[in-house]
Amino acid sequence: MKIEIKNLKKKFNDNFVLKDISLTIEKNKSTIILGESGCGKSVLIKTIYKLFEFDSGSILYDGKSEVDIDKFSMLFQYGALFDSLKISENIAFTDFINNKTNFERKVLSLMNDVGLNKSIFDRYPSELSGGMKKRAALARALYKNPKVIFLDEPTTGLDPINSDKINDLILEVITKRKITAVSITHDIKSAIKTGDNYYFINDGIIQDKGDCKKILKTKNKIFKSFIIGAKY
Amino acid sequence: MKFIENIGKFIIKLFSSFGKFILFILFFFKYLFKPKFYLKNNLSFFVNVFISSIPIIALTGIFSGMVLALQSYTGFSRFSAESAIPNIVVLTLTRELGPVLTGLMISARVGSSIAAEIATMRVTEQIDALKTLNTNYYNYLVTPRVISLTLALPIFVTLVDFIGVMGGYIVSVHRLGFNDNLYLLNTIDFLSLGDYLSGIFKAFAFGFIISIVSCYCGLFSDKGAFGVGSATTNAVVISSVLILSSNYFLTELFF
Repeated sequence: MKIEIKNLKKKFNDNFVLKDISLTIEKNKSTIILGESGCGKSVLIKTIYKLFEFDSGSILYDGKSEVDIDKFSMLFQYGALFDSLKISENIAFTDFINNKTNFERKVLSLMNDVGLNKSIFDRYPSELSGGMKKRAALARALYKNPKVIFLDEPTTGLDPINSDKINDLILEVITKRKITAVSITHDIKSAIKTGDNYYFINDGIIQDKGDCKKILKTKNKIFKSFIIGAKY
Repeated sequence: MKFIENIGKFIIKLFSSFGKFILFILFFFKYLFKPKFYLKNNLSFFVNVFISSIPIIALTGIFSGMVLALQSYTGFSRFSAESAIPNIVVLTLTRELGPVLTGLMISARVGSSIAAEIATMRVTEQIDALKTLNTNYYNYLVTPRVISLTLALPIFVTLVDFIGVMGGYIVSVHRLGFNDNLYLLNTIDFLSLGDYLSGIFKAFAFGFIISIVSCYCGLFSDKGAFGVGSATTNAVVISSVLILSSNYFLTELFF
């Protein structure tokens, strides 16, 4: 699915978080949204997902303004697994709450895909490590076979080894399943590894954009100082 | 000048929160009659609330009844009206103390836990996750809690009434020397169905107040640990104040 965003503006109370955002998310490509904490990255992807309404501008999904959000899924920053449910119930959430019982095989297959051992099938999120929670959350995001997956800082809170593993996993999953991916991060290394195109947001506007493989050759001063600040 | 500005901001915030709360209630009723109904979720919440609240409800009932009998005796013995104690105990419990004390205890026990749970879900983006999974949080979170608590409170009040009367009976018979048969006879003869039902009506109202306020405070909490803390405090304080104030108007209704 191709998503085109034009002159998007979004404010909370009187404060504009997104001042004028225009960008294109190409079909089956991995688009990375970069920027400092609080610059509006999460608000942007939640607005694209229709979790927030926007004040002005337009978002077109394959040329249409309406979209079935069942085609989307999201991996949240800290997983956002439901504490009161088991891992299997979390992964197959929509089937579980609709009292369907034949989700075991699909869940086990997804757990295998994201590198989770089947022994945690009946465990609760509080019993898992940060990396395992991220994997379980990724499995939940993949459960409904999305056309577009939104990844909100997928490596936050993980050590470098686990970050690398999650990046590899994301790359493998989106390539194998041919999913359009939109990731937000402030981790330059992850952006280069998992992205095709990047957009750099600063102060509510797009400051820089380009090919992820050429991030380090950027001429934009603000983005350069961001890269240096990110200690790449 | 700054002081007046702050008062203005506070008043605007107060009215805006009130408006938001009324809208929240209207949305609750809108989704109440719309599918989907998560029956398993409704049932498990009801069972959970019921089991976890029984001990605290039993303690509230028995001690209220016991104290009521002792205090009534202190007053009535001054003008030789001790025989009215069974009547006073049963009337006060069924019409007033049963629903109000149960409401306050449940607000502290269950209301706080509803607000804390939902606020934590909000802070950890679980509410957003529900939306991304195409699940309406009114249907999944609010409806089961409001229905369960609104239905559970009358049962709790009936228990408090019964246990409270038994508490009064124990103290009156074993401590104050009343005749046991006469005490029970006076209690049963004096109690009318209207007395009991007025308490039960209050219980329905208090159950609804506690659950809807707690869900609202949780869903619209501020972010972070502070947000969860204030949501919990607000849920208990607002529910308690609304219980006590609405109690007057409900009493007027059945006067």
